[in-house]
Amino acid sequence: MRGSYLALMWVLTVAIAASVSAQTASAGWSAPKTPWGDPDLQGIWPSTHMLQTPVQRDPKMGTRAVLNDEEYAQRMRQVKAFANIEAGNPDRVPISAGWFDPGKGSRQASLVVDPPDGRIPALTPETQKREAERLARYKQKKDAPDTWLDLTTWDRCISLGAVGSMLPFYYNNGIEIVQAPGYVVIRNEMIHEARVVPLDGRSHVGTGVRMWMGDSRGHWEGTTLVVETTNFNARVGVGPGDGGFFDAAPRPTEQLRVTERFTRADEHTVDYQVTIQDPNTWTKPWTMAYPLRQEPNYTVISEYACHEGNIFMHDVLSGARAEEAKSAPAGKGSK
Amino acid sequence: MNQLRLRTLSLASLLLSLTISVPVAAHHSFTAQFDANKPVTVRGTVTKMDWINPHSWIHMETKGPDGKTITWMVELGTPNVLIRRGFTKKALESGTEIVVQGYQAKNGENKMNGGYVTFKDGTRLFAGGSGPGEAPTPTPGTPQK
Repeated sequence: MRGSYLALMWVLTVAIAASVSAQTASAGWSAPKTPWGDPDLQGIWPSTHMLQTPVQRDPKMGTRAVLNDEEYAQRMRQVKAFANIEAGNPDRVPISAGWFDPGKGSRQASLVVDPPDGRIPALTPETQKREAERLARYKQKKDAPDTWLDLTTWDRCISLGAVGSMLPFYYNNGIEIVQAPGYVVIRNEMIHEARVVPLDGRSHVGTGVRMWMGDSRGHWEGTTLVVETTNFNARVGVGPGDGGFFDAAPRPTEQLRVTERFTRADEHTVDYQVTIQDPNTWTKPWTMAYPLRQEPNYTVISEYACHEGNIFMHDVLSGARAEEAKSAPAGKGSK
Repeated sequence: MNQLRLRTLSLASLLLSLTISVPVAAHHSFTAQFDANKPVTVRGTVTKMDWINPHSWIHMETKGPDGKTITWMVELGTPNVLIRRGFTKKALESGTEIVVQGYQAKNGENKMNGGYVTFKDGTRLFAGGSGPGEAPTPTPGTPQK
C-alpha cells in the first residue's frame, strides 16, 4: 500500500516538473545517451528553484500534495517579496536576505512526499532524548562557542552530508553530474563534495569503514540511476531541519541508509528522489522528491574555498573570548 | 583621498536596524562573528579581491590619522549573489577607490561584514552581508548616486 502511494507521489512530482519544464523543452527532445550507451545525466542541475518549497507540509493540508490556486498565489507572493528584497531597495535592505537565493516557487506542497502527510516521521524515543540534549547545548553555545566542537559540521566547513548536500539550501545549490564508463560522479557546490559512484555491482566496503558522505553504489533501472549509500559515520545531520538551518537536523546512527533515484525528465530537468531510513533514528522511512533544473546563468560551479579552521572559526572563537573579557569582573581578564 | 572614517550610526537608525524583522533567521555567522553594535564606514583602496565561495572578501587599505596604512578585510556574500546584484569581474580590481559600510568583527580585528560598497562615481551596490537587520543607512558625506 505504502509502495503504491509512493509511486503515485513520484508520478505526481514528475508531472508537476514536466508541466513546468514542458514550456522550455525543445520540440522533438529525446533522452540522450552517453557514447557508451548509459542514460546521459551530465550537467549542472541546481536545486535553487525549489527554495520556497518547505521540507515538510503544512499540517492543515493533510495528504494533499499540491497547492490550490489560492495557496499557490500566496507562495508566489512570497517568492516575489523575497526577490524584491534581493533586488534591493538601496536604503532599506534587510541584510540577512542578501545571502539568499529567492527560489522560483512551485505548486509542490512539500519536499517530503512520503509519508502521505508530507511530514518527517517521529524520531524514536532514544533519538528524541539525544537530540534534545544536543540542540540545547548547541543553542546555548552557537553564538559564543567554547570550542569548535560546539559548532556544526556546516559551520566548520566539513560537510552537509549526503542528504543535506542535495537539498535546496539558501545559496550555493549547484549540483553537477559527470559520467564515465562504469562510474557516476555527483558533485555538490556546498560543501566541496564529489561522490564517486561505481556502477559495476561491487559490494559496499566493510562495516568498519565509516565516512562523512558514506559509501555509494549505483545501478541503472531503465533510464533511472539508483544510488544506494551506506557506511555513514553518523556525525552529520540529515536534512536542513525545520527552519532551514542545518543545526536543527537530527544526527542519525550508523544504520542510516540513503537511496537516491535520478531520472532525466527533459532537456532541462532531472527528477530526484531520496529515501532515508534508519530504524534507530526515525520510526519509519521517509522520502523527498523534487526536480533539479538547469539555470541559464548557472553554468559554472565555483570552488568552495572553505576549510575547517579558516577565517570564520578564528573570528568566532576569538570573538567569544573578547566578549568574555569585556564582561569579566575588573582585573579578572578572560578565562 | 584615503582616509579612515569610522563612524557610529545614530542611535535612532541603529535601533531601527535592530527591530526590523527579517524573513528568515539571521545567518549563523553574523551573530557569532560580527557585532551589530559596531557599525563602521571605511574609505580606502582595494588591494585584492577574493571571489570565492562561500563568502567573497575585499582586502583594502586606508590611512589612519597619523598617516600609517591600515588594512581591512570586508566579507561579502557568495559570488553568484554579488554578480546578480550588479558586481562585475572588474568592479573591485586593485586600486579601486571605495567606501564600505558594515559591522566590525567581535574580536576587534579590522574585519567587517559588508553592507554597502560605494564607488567613486557614486554607484552603490549591496554587498550581500549577513547582518541581523537592515544595512547601515548612508552616513553624511558618503557619495550617493
